[in-house]
Amino acid sequence: MSSGNATEQITPLEGAGIRSETAPAPSRHKLRLVPLLEVRQNVPETQRLACYAASLAVAAAISFALLALSGVAPSDVMREIATVAFSSPRALGSVLAQTAPLVMAGLATAIAFRSNFWNIGLEGQMILGAIFASVVAIYDVGPEPARLVLMAVAAMAGGMLWVSVPAMLKQRLGVSEVITTLLLNYVAFNLLLHLLYGPWKDPVSSFPHTEQYEAFERLPLLGWLNLTWTLPLAALLAGLLWWLLSYSRIGYLLDMTSSNREMARAVGVPVAGLTVAAILASGAVGGLTGFSIAAGVEFRMTQDFFAGYLFSGVLIAFLGRNHPAGVVIVAFFMAILLLVGQSLQIFFQVPSALVQLVQAIFIICVAASEFFLTYRMHWRAAT
Amino acid sequence: MTEFLFNWLVNVPAFAVPFALAALGLILSERAGVLNLGAEGFMLAGALAGIGVTINGGPPLAALAGAMLAGMAMGLVFAFLTASLRINHVIAGLALVFFADALTRYIASYAGWTNQAIKGLEPIFLGQDLVVWATPLICLGCVLLLNRTRFGLALRAVGENPAAADAAGIDVTTMRILAILLGTALIGLAGGYLTVAVSKIWTGSVVGGRGWIAIALVIFARWHPWRAVLGAILFGCIEALIPRIAATGADVPRYFLQMPPYLATLAVMIWSATRSSGGGAQPAALGLHHIREDRD
Repeated sequence: MSSGNATEQITPLEGAGIRSETAPAPSRHKLRLVPLLEVRQNVPETQRLACYAASLAVAAAISFALLALSGVAPSDVMREIATVAFSSPRALGSVLAQTAPLVMAGLATAIAFRSNFWNIGLEGQMILGAIFASVVAIYDVGPEPARLVLMAVAAMAGGMLWVSVPAMLKQRLGVSEVITTLLLNYVAFNLLLHLLYGPWKDPVSSFPHTEQYEAFERLPLLGWLNLTWTLPLAALLAGLLWWLLSYSRIGYLLDMTSSNREMARAVGVPVAGLTVAAILASGAVGGLTGFSIAAGVEFRMTQDFFAGYLFSGVLIAFLGRNHPAGVVIVAFFMAILLLVGQSLQIFFQVPSALVQLVQAIFIICVAASEFFLTYRMHWRAAT
Repeated sequence: MTEFLFNWLVNVPAFAVPFALAALGLILSERAGVLNLGAEGFMLAGALAGIGVTINGGPPLAALAGAMLAGMAMGLVFAFLTASLRINHVIAGLALVFFADALTRYIASYAGWTNQAIKGLEPIFLGQDLVVWATPLICLGCVLLLNRTRFGLALRAVGENPAAADAAGIDVTTMRILAILLGTALIGLAGGYLTVAVSKIWTGSVVGGRGWIAIALVIFARWHPWRAVLGAILFGCIEALIPRIAATGADVPRYFLQMPPYLATLAVMIWSATRSSGGGAQPAALGLHHIREDRD
């Protein structure tokens, strides 16, 4: 049906509307106010920040209220935050240890979002990354001193492989990447279960996880606060991406591409190549995230090492405004949230879904605040 | 062999109904121009409500009504974000799925509804339950509503050309909110059917991506109700085949058997993409906001 047709047929609706065609009493008009939306042209940075801060405050208030309803008083929450994060260097160490993989997850998501590719397949890419790294570890590929590097490279290849299918479908055929990346998570998860309950079952304990990685297949300890090399790896990645996205020519061209694709193409930017490169980079960092948890935290591949990272990654990228520095800051607070959530689960028996519920409340509040930045609202009497 | 075929086909409707209802609900909201990626979330809300009502002594039909209301309650949040606040539809949809996923698991674990088996909906005729028989009627209802009523005409106009619809005196925002509520009622019913009639138990993964598959199904059906039901039957056949193959004891790895619905969805999406050269079936204003004061 053409749109022109539709409008023609709709015109009689006005006559059928509830308002009578005789002149209505003017008093009714005064009472009825309708909102008028005006699109804001320029929003000052301070106003942006204020709006962002206000939405975070609203989300925090809702979260505290929710916790109070679940029987955890705000003072308990504050005490828990203080204990979990800042009571001792050891506590800070565990927060930083949790921050590292979250930074990587956030970066993986942010790179894709920045090139207008909704990569909702982080968990699938993490799983493939860990599977590829485990292939190297289990079948003893390469000499021992080079093993860890080989595992990392394999993990990046795995993540890239998994994101390349949606990337290709989007570029070649225009297939929505939201659905394809998401569905491939389920495929990857079933592949993981197949391996862990089948050929890769731990030969020692018969539990559904791989055998432990050898000492040289694990990310070594830093020798500070019980941290592993995951943290410097995440910091290095964040720094590299910050430089790439904000200061390099590639970042400039990528921003041009995502803000106006047609214009970028017209002035000779290799639009398709840049987008594909960014998507593959997102997959590679996703694979590396899986590797960093398998080789830096669990020292083996388990059946739920990736759980929750998809949501966390989206939230971190979104709240961090897809900027590497923002990602690092948000990931730090997210790590505190995760640890506080675990602790509340133990001491107050709140359900494990609590953390994700709080995350969802933050996403909704910050997304809703965009309205106040995009539009100015006027109330005007209906005429 | 005939026994295998019979056992397979008799199970197809129960697997097809959730896809069909969810796809019909999606079509209702998407024909009004609302890109609805929240299907998985609305189904989860419906699925939990179905279990909740049943465990608290409600009959199956009350459980299904509860599922519709739960879907609509979530739909109200989604409508507020997309139609009123005009948030990006992709972000709103994803946020809603995350929210519903967390909220349902939170409530289920608080109320202790997890892993409690229920009696559920019984077959009424030819081994099929009431909802199976009602689904073709619901589809007919959707077709009539969209194509034969003023309301449907206004709904489609809002999805094709909101500016023209606005000029013709249709309240675009209200129309979209109504379309979302109608659609999410059906998607909630799809979720409720999953727990009340199919699984008869709640687990956090009971919907298992079916909402996303339904979204792909709508693209495959080119936003047309009857074709969506045909697609749903196709996916019902694929899903119903899984337990049958497992029952024959064939030597197929168990977890590989879980993959076909997802892979079939990818295949269907590729097929739809190669087929539509102009992409004409998609509502022209899908995912676009209408601001009267803004120039197009």
